[in-house]
Order: sequence, then C-alpha cells, then structure tokens
Amino acid sequence: MTFLSRVITAFGGLLLTHACYSAREHTALQSLRAATASSLTSSPTVSSSLPLDIILETLISTLIILVGLVLGTRPLRPIEWRVWAGKIEREGEAGFTDGSGVVDRDYMGNPFSVFESRPNFVDIRKQRKEFAEWVQKGGAEATRYYAGGTQ
Amino acid sequence: MSSEQELQISPIVQESLMHNSRTLYNLQSLTASLFGISAGILGLESYSGFLFYLVFSLLTAVLFYLVRVAPSSLAAGKSPLDTSRYFRGPFEFWAGGLMNGLAGFILTWTLLYGLVRA
Repeated sequence: MTFLSRVITAFGGLLLTHACYSAREHTALQSLRAATASSLTSSPTVSSSLPLDIILETLISTLIILVGLVLGTRPLRPIEWRVWAGKIEREGEAGFTDGSGVVDRDYMGNPFSVFESRPNFVDIRKQRKEFAEWVQKGGAEATRYYAGGTQ
Repeated sequence: MSSEQELQISPIVQESLMHNSRTLYNLQSLTASLFGISAGILGLESYSGFLFYLVFSLLTAVLFYLVRVAPSSLAAGKSPLDTSRYFRGPFEFWAGGLMNGLAGFILTWTLLYGLVRA
C-alpha cells in the first residue's frame, strides 16, 4: 500500500512539475508577445489566461497526488474503548500496523493483560502438587530410560 | 442522556483519538500546501483561490473518509458519512482542515504565483 501510494504521488508530482514549467513558459511567451505587439501595433489585448491543457494537467495531477497521499495515510484506530479492545483481542498486532506492515511503536497490547496473570490468584498448592506428580512421573521415566540405556 | 454519563458508559481511548487526529492533521497540512501549488500555477486570485481551497479540502475529507473511515465504519453498522467510530465530532473531521492548512495554502499559493507570473 505504501509503495503504491509513493508511486502514485511521484507520478503526480512529475505531472505537476511539468504543468508548472508549462505555465511558466506560457506566461513568459505571452509577456514577450505583448511587448513586441505593443511596440509594433497599438492593440495590446493579449489574453493572460492559461491554455486549457495546462489547466487540466494541473487539476488532474493535483487529484493524482491527493489520491496518493490519502492512500499513504496510516490506518485509524477506533476511539471507543470497547471497539478498540475488541479489535486488539480479535486481530492482535496485525490490526495496528502502518501501511507497510510494521507494527506501530505505541502498540501496547491487550489492556486487560493485567487481569490474566494476577500473582495473588495463583493456586500455589495445586501447582506444587502438579509439579510433584510431574517429577515422580518424569523421574520414573528417566530412571527407566537410564536403566534401558545401561542394559 | 448527558455526555458525561455517555463517557462513563462507553469510555474513549485517548491514544487512539490523538493518533487519528494527528493522521488527519498531517494529511491536511500536506494537501493544503499541494493545493497552494496548484492554485499558484493556475494563477487564481482572491475569492477564486479560496473557493479552490474550500472545494479541494472538502474533496480531501471525502477521499479520506472513503479510504480510511468508510470500510470499517460501514461494516460496523454506522450510517454513511458518520465518522464517530474514529473522531469525536463531525465538525473536526469535515471542516477542521480548513483552518489547519490555511497558512500553508497561502504560503505556497503566493510563492508559486510569484514564481510563475513574475
């Protein structure tokens, strides 16, 4: 997306530069013609408006750059807390990237992560029992393994 | 329902609000300078220049709405042209750019007008 928007913007900038140069040349030519016409004849009525193609080129290149810039903006974030938190829960980091897929620096992750790891609510006795069981089973397996290895 | 009660019921994320406003502000300042360049090339004067700026900044808002706001906002069930998913008030979104970019617009407008016409 970012690459596409840069290409579009650069193309529009090229067109706009060309339009600017054309307009500059046109006015220079017009002023020169006006100077010679006033010295030769007595009718210095020279239209100072730009030709239609330069006007069209300017407008179209402006629109092209505008589209490129709008495509290059960063994605917005929902401002309501519930929508925002739901988006984080559903999409995670993928929902908070800029156009080229880099995660935003101020992405702070799940706002409720505090509640998901509360040390005060850890059942330490249960965990100790599980660990003891694991050690017993693992120890038995290990001894069997080593016994098998030595035989 | 009072707005304070509303905020209590559905709180607002300040970081997201600032991120969205900054994104919009950056776009508006950039495009305002761009419109100044085109207005200078076209050689617009007085009211027509400001009218040009008005039309094109509204066009910017519409394009930004179509590209960034509309897809997710309409999917979430908001009515068309409703920006309340990402911005607090409609005024900030649709008309905020007029004030933000005016200085940049006049700067580049006069500069390019002088460069092209002088």
